[in-house]
Amino acid sequence: MEFAIISALNGVIYGLLLFMVSAGLTLIFGMMGVLNFAHASFYMLGAYIAYAVSSIFGFWAGLLVAPLIVGGVGMLVERYLLPRVHAHGHAHELLLTFGLALIIEEAVKLFFGDFPVNYQMPESLRFAAFSLFDTNYPFYRLFIGGIAVAMFIALWLLLSRTRTGIIVRAAERLPAMAEALGHNIPVVFMSVFGTGAALAGLAGAVAGAFYPTNPNMGLELGVIVFVVVVVGGLGSLKGSLLASLMIGLFSSYAVGIDWSLATLFDLAGLGGWARAVGGLITMEVSSISGTIPFVLMLLVLLIRPAGLMGERN
Amino acid sequence: MRTIIPAAILLIALLAVPPFLGLGWQNALVNLLIASLFALAFNLLSGQAGLLSFGHAAYFGVGAFATLHLMIAVEDGLPFPTPLLPLAGAGAGLAVGLVAGVFATKRSGVYFALVTLAIAELFHSLAPHLQGWFGGESGISAMRMPWGGFVFGSLLEVYYLTLGWVVLSILVLWAYTRTPFGRLTLALRDNEQRVRFLGYDAHAAKVVVFTISAMFSGVAGALLAISNETANYALFSAHVSAQVVLHTFVGGATIFLGPVIGAVVFTLFAYIVSDLTRSWLFYQGLIFVLVMLYAPIGIGGVIRHHLRHWRSIDWSRLAAPYALAGVGGAMIAGGVVFLTECVAILFGEEYAVAMRDAGDTLPPFEMAGMSWDPLGPASWLPPILLLSIGGLCLHRARDRIKPLWDAIEGGAAKEGTR
Repeated sequence: MEFAIISALNGVIYGLLLFMVSAGLTLIFGMMGVLNFAHASFYMLGAYIAYAVSSIFGFWAGLLVAPLIVGGVGMLVERYLLPRVHAHGHAHELLLTFGLALIIEEAVKLFFGDFPVNYQMPESLRFAAFSLFDTNYPFYRLFIGGIAVAMFIALWLLLSRTRTGIIVRAAERLPAMAEALGHNIPVVFMSVFGTGAALAGLAGAVAGAFYPTNPNMGLELGVIVFVVVVVGGLGSLKGSLLASLMIGLFSSYAVGIDWSLATLFDLAGLGGWARAVGGLITMEVSSISGTIPFVLMLLVLLIRPAGLMGERN
Repeated sequence: MRTIIPAAILLIALLAVPPFLGLGWQNALVNLLIASLFALAFNLLSGQAGLLSFGHAAYFGVGAFATLHLMIAVEDGLPFPTPLLPLAGAGAGLAVGLVAGVFATKRSGVYFALVTLAIAELFHSLAPHLQGWFGGESGISAMRMPWGGFVFGSLLEVYYLTLGWVVLSILVLWAYTRTPFGRLTLALRDNEQRVRFLGYDAHAAKVVVFTISAMFSGVAGALLAISNETANYALFSAHVSAQVVLHTFVGGATIFLGPVIGAVVFTLFAYIVSDLTRSWLFYQGLIFVLVMLYAPIGIGGVIRHHLRHWRSIDWSRLAAPYALAGVGGAMIAGGVVFLTECVAILFGEEYAVAMRDAGDTLPPFEMAGMSWDPLGPASWLPPILLLSIGGLCLHRARDRIKPLWDAIEGGAAKEGTR
């Protein structure tokens, strides 16, 4: 029971964090058809900028400045780099963002070294929110979740309740038509790209203080974020929220589950035979928890590439 | 004839020179050959068939592991000739590539890239847990066994074995492009719809291309296994997949030997520069992005462009602006390297210690045998001058080169219409 509840809480909060990063990625893809390989690097950049700023001006300044700078970087990339390769097709846009991801990772190593940095939450946030089964639940986890929820609500209100939101949605559906109606589509695209990057940067700034901040965090989160946006459906915000929560819950539960395929065979009375065969059959869920998201992603890509909530195939 | 003579000279050089080189260079050449073959195999899929894969490490790694298993069997007494070991890599690459290809080629574009990425990640995350196949986290090792008078103990023998397989594979891959199926591969990239209308089964064709590409990637992996005598799950990592993408697109994906150019440039770059600076991966990424931005056809593409218009190029007018561009480029490179190395030193651990010793002031630092003051204008003047003058040179050169090339291409177009 204790395991179930604590894991559920942790899973939901990890899922919300995944959503903060994947929201920008999926918005950008839905709009421009660019799968941004550098998106998880924006997340890492956010964590490192927040670390650098907060070591001088304090935690909250870092939290405020990091998304702004990362958003600015995103806008510059969209404005000056992507159009250069646009004529050569989507593959080249993909390759360009891929190269940018490499550069950002190496630049971070250049400035901060190839090891984790000591980015910590402030003392004022380091307390237990409540006690559950004699364990103190850290408030900061709730803080991460709260920021993600606030961001989702803000984003949703912006997209569905304001004039700006209508223009953004129009630009996503029929960019040419929206432009013909007199809206400045290049600026819309740039803002969406910048906002997506800023959200990833915010996620990095918030999460970096809780999870380790190291030069691999971009790559590690990056592949999981790809899984999330694919499973949710590329371009669908709701889908990526759902998939984020799914993956988050799964990865927090999987650590504690020692079932394997052999357990299934037990039901049919073949457990002994299965264990004798060994290999894949006897691998426990906990030890392959890193693999299952990719299996899920493959299945979705092959069976229903539009994902859970996507419309287009 | 025009291509055969340079190729023969190159081959003779590759045969004759290595015995006189040191072990370090021999090893670098082995890696260079393997990287070349891997990039060519990758390019069959990404450049010629237009299917961009982000997970070719899977087939490379599978080839390496299969070869090592065969080598272990040979150690235990299986009579299998050592020079034919790469066949195991080819077989494994072919088998895994066939299965992966059937599924991956059902999708195209970004979705294809994601499927291949997921397949490679599958291997990467499973391999450390599979003791029997991939030897867990430490991997598996085997020894090269002597065969038919060859001991395969020295690096030179391994080099010649690698050279033989790589040259053979390149010839086969080149011959492939001359077959009707090779032309069909290009058609798949250019207009898949039309291929289908012509009555071909596009999916089956893609599977075949995918499988062949995976098979030769497996051969490349096998050659690596033979030269290293060991492999672990890191072979499946995203870095391996990333490297081959870098090599291929910097070299030029639209030209048959383009990937080889990229592989040669980057392997030599890594061999020479990684000794000098820790930031070489940063430069590598920078080079890749610059090529993507300013020469999306790659180095090979630029070379071919020049060769094609060779007759109509008026070198007496083009040489001066080209030299100017070269000088400008070199100056900008110098400025960027200067700044990067400054950052690497100023933000490094050693400098942090020096700063603490100096009582939280900024002490001078050593770079390229000279002492620099971090706050002195004399330290920051060189990069600023290099970057600004270099930029100016490039700008001037571009303004002069562009009309000349427009004239050349305009003339060529007129020839064509006549």
